[in-house]
Amino acid sequence: MRLLQIVNAGKQLYKTFSLQELRKGLGVTGRQLFRKKTTIMYPEEKTPKSPRFRGLHALRRYANGEERCIACKLCEAVCPALAITIDSEEREDGTRRTTRYDIDLFKCVYCGFCEEACPVDAIVMTDIHEFHMEENHECIIDKQRLLELGDMHEKEIAAARKQDAPYR
Amino acid sequence: MTTVTIEVDGKSLPAQAGEMLICVTDRNDIYIPRFCYHEKLSIAANCRMCLVEVENAPKPMPACATPVMDGMKVFTRSKYAQTAQQGTMEFLLINHPLDCPVCDQGGECPLQDQAMDYGSDDSRFLEKKRSLPSHDIGPLIATEMTRCIHCTRCVRFGEEVAGVVELGAPGRGEHMQIGTFLNRSIDSEVSGNMIDLCPVGALTSKPYRFAARSWELQNHPGISPHDCLGTNINIQTLRDQVERVLPIDNPEINQCWLADRDRYSYEAVNSEQRLTQPMIKDGRKWREVDWETAINHATAGITTVLNSGSGNDIGKGIGGLAAASSTLEEFYLLQKLIRNMGSDNVDHRLQQCDFRDDNIAPRFPASEIQIQHYNNLAAVLLVGSNIRKEQPLLALRLRDGCNKKGTKISAINPVDFDFNFDTVESDVAAGGQMVRSLATQAAHVAQIKSAELPFDIKKIADSNPGFEQTANNLVAAGENGLIIIGALAQQHTDASLLKAISQWICDTTGCKLAVLGCANSAAGWIAQCVPGDNGMNAGQMLGQNGSAGLRCFILLGTEPELDSIDGKSALATLNKAEFVVQISAFKSASVMKYADVLLPMAAFTESAGTYINCEGRIQNAKVAVTPKGEARPGWKILRVMGNFLELNGFEQITIDDVTEEINLTDITPSCRLVELQFHPTLSSGEKSTPDLMESDSLIRVVDMPMYRAEVTLRHARALQQTADNPPPAAGLNPATASRLQLNDGNRVKVQNQSGSATLELRTNDRLAENCVYVPAGFMETTDLGRHVRVTVKKIE
Amino acid sequence: MLDKVLLSDASLQEIDNELDKYPKDRRQSALLAALRIAQEEHNWLSDELIEYVAEVIGVPPVRAFEVATFYSMYDLKPVGRHKINVCTNISCMLRGCDQIVNYLQNKLGIGFGETTADGKFTLKEVECLAACAGAPMMQIGRDYYENLSPEKIDTILQALP
Repeated sequence: MRLLQIVNAGKQLYKTFSLQELRKGLGVTGRQLFRKKTTIMYPEEKTPKSPRFRGLHALRRYANGEERCIACKLCEAVCPALAITIDSEEREDGTRRTTRYDIDLFKCVYCGFCEEACPVDAIVMTDIHEFHMEENHECIIDKQRLLELGDMHEKEIAAARKQDAPYR
Repeated sequence: MTTVTIEVDGKSLPAQAGEMLICVTDRNDIYIPRFCYHEKLSIAANCRMCLVEVENAPKPMPACATPVMDGMKVFTRSKYAQTAQQGTMEFLLINHPLDCPVCDQGGECPLQDQAMDYGSDDSRFLEKKRSLPSHDIGPLIATEMTRCIHCTRCVRFGEEVAGVVELGAPGRGEHMQIGTFLNRSIDSEVSGNMIDLCPVGALTSKPYRFAARSWELQNHPGISPHDCLGTNINIQTLRDQVERVLPIDNPEINQCWLADRDRYSYEAVNSEQRLTQPMIKDGRKWREVDWETAINHATAGITTVLNSGSGNDIGKGIGGLAAASSTLEEFYLLQKLIRNMGSDNVDHRLQQCDFRDDNIAPRFPASEIQIQHYNNLAAVLLVGSNIRKEQPLLALRLRDGCNKKGTKISAINPVDFDFNFDTVESDVAAGGQMVRSLATQAAHVAQIKSAELPFDIKKIADSNPGFEQTANNLVAAGENGLIIIGALAQQHTDASLLKAISQWICDTTGCKLAVLGCANSAAGWIAQCVPGDNGMNAGQMLGQNGSAGLRCFILLGTEPELDSIDGKSALATLNKAEFVVQISAFKSASVMKYADVLLPMAAFTESAGTYINCEGRIQNAKVAVTPKGEARPGWKILRVMGNFLELNGFEQITIDDVTEEINLTDITPSCRLVELQFHPTLSSGEKSTPDLMESDSLIRVVDMPMYRAEVTLRHARALQQTADNPPPAAGLNPATASRLQLNDGNRVKVQNQSGSATLELRTNDRLAENCVYVPAGFMETTDLGRHVRVTVKKIE
Repeated sequence: MLDKVLLSDASLQEIDNELDKYPKDRRQSALLAALRIAQEEHNWLSDELIEYVAEVIGVPPVRAFEVATFYSMYDLKPVGRHKINVCTNISCMLRGCDQIVNYLQNKLGIGFGETTADGKFTLKEVECLAACAGAPMMQIGRDYYENLSPEKIDTILQALP
């Protein structure tokens, strides 16, 4: 028993003075030094995102400029965080439209259920995840802002939906 | 009836022989899907959704049209039944657009639910779907006929329940489509029920269109204030706004139906004309103020009037008038406020003008039989009642009785109203002739029963025979007979006489009597919102009949210029009055002219309260939404006014404290006069109703059209656009019109002692001869007052 | 009520005769006959006429409209003086009704459901008229014409006023 202790102590002494572990660690560093880098220079550089990425919301339009949303309120019903508020009425042409479509970004948990529930692909989640607000009330984005977001990013949104379509 | 035993899904169930299978399963909570079957309608068996497997039957059987047999074995969820149900569902969905996201029925749609539960997940139909144009069929019902699955519930409702065949199913096979003839509007006063019956989104509510989804609405049970039945309603709200009103099934009152009046009156609650801020008149200008200022101003005004009286006269110049649709608590606090100020002038009967029987009146006007027995009568006599428009749901019960039990219904009315049931006899008599007709019936009764006819009736009765069946029917019916005193009789200048004669007939024949008051009038009587021995009634307060009128008014939810049958005197008295406090949910130009303070009151959905119906049933309504703006419940306003006036007995904290103060014990309905007195004033000048026609003088028939009778209804947008609410016109019998050389569509000036009205002429062969029908409840006709003798002249 | 009288006294009398065949409270039963009588007088049933008949019978107009739209024998649009009903059911088809139809359509210059410009003929396609023994066949007015050939058709049409 005593002998075993003496041997272990000797091994430890050797390890300490030969800097074995330090060299092992530096070896990893040395190897990685010449490998291809995975770190990116955010925010100048960005990682690629999945077409299913769930970022900021947007409301889409049809190609003819007509808003897609038909005020069916399924997104409002499915939202687990009660972040969506919709008011609806009959528009002059007899169609069902929203008069108010508010999303509270502080309540939203970005689960994407609203997008799943939407029968007309109106509410979508874009890949925008970098946004901020300066005033408290700005956390609520209204219909106009959502439509603007949709208009601004329609190309990217459409491309992402197309890319994901075969898997749906 | 023999009882048989059947087996459903392995469970043994008792059933009545000959009963339909679906009735048995419904009673035992075994659900069978269905679209066309409805327990209140006849069996059509045309949707085929209720197919079930019956042992030894060669094919699946429709449960709604399969009578039960002893030992029958039924399987509702067997593979066989399921295949049949799935097949039916696939066929039903062939032409259904599946536009659920934009459909108002989505979320509460039997087709949607049953497609989930009983349908297959796939359709093999690849062809083009059928689509149909939708037509405008009136302001209440929106149509989307592509969604229709031809269950014909709406058609059967019109034919069987409402009694007006407006919808039909023209075309055959695939070309069949539900619609009205030439796309005319649906004008039934109970048309909204078709929306409830429609199992898909083909018929939806127009005012509710796209406003909300069924799953986000909150339900608030309530009581409709518009009829004397206390109809149970479900007030559905979204974010503190009333979005729609649906019936609550109550077999003892409204069954599963609702009149359009109760269904669509909520629109007034959300209307632009709501009074939302207390206002006071500064000189001639109105300004919005806070509650304290307003009530201070109101009490100061009242106190000034109070102090100007002296000795015993203190308070005599002040009076309170409440709308008949007020709650029990509002009635009670108003009369308490007025009485504590030393006055006895309080009333809610603005539509009445004959008050001669007040001292012998029963506790409250009521129906001696319960509402649920209206289907089981042997004979009914309607005295001055357009019951179809006054109490639509009672009319449905009478119709049901007439069709199923053979109720013999007669009417004595100034107009031969287009009832939805058959009448045995319809005596068209206006003015004094109406009293004469009723007296003649009494004489017939006396003859049959060999009873002695009181001298007062004998004096009036016509010796010419005619319309004898009515009396025969009433005598034969005995306890199963009923005389209904309607609104037109109560508005009559000889109302007390009509009531007394009816009572004499009831006493003699053993028939029951029903005085159907308007709205919550029973509660008004029970809360003693009627003048005492020394008080003035509504007519005297408002200066009818040349009385001086009052100097100071507290008006609760009423606009007397339109609510009173004599709008002219009302307006004159109010304009002349020194101080008028208007507690109302709405503002209007004419009120702003005479009122000095406007206090915003909560509408019926915004205030708790007690309603008492014509059978003495006490029902409580709870608050459904918070009052708009600064509006407060009427009882709170009155209570605080009591505090500011430093009166005793206004310390209630909750509405229950108010209710507890009111004596609600022993309210068995009785509408009989305590002592039978006749007030025969026939042919004694303008005071009573003229009897003989002079060559150029006609008798005015007054009526309060159903959607003009209350402030709330006057602000309900969709109801105001219906066919039951035409613009005011002068109605004349074609024979009378041709005698006066007038034609339909002429502009005429209707003139009497008090004023004139320029109206369009409408000939109407249902009207009695030598009468002019001019409705009240419109500013255009207010000027005519209550003088019944009128002349009609053409305007070039 | 009845603002305008749209039927002759003879027709009204005929409707009354039909009404007499049924119990007093079953007036609706005479609707089919009444609509036929009205159509015979006016050649076709306008909306106005349907409403008038409904009023004569005493049923809601939509009830009469349902009946009029259900049966193809009622014409809800103006038709020519002679209504040619050609059967295209199986017996006639096997006996060459296609040729008859083609010939008629070319001769008159109209398709099914159409009326010639001079308002003389209307061509209609009908289901079996129960004269299979004489296929191919057609019906003009109340008369049946059987074993048709183009030549026979020429003679028949020529003979019509």
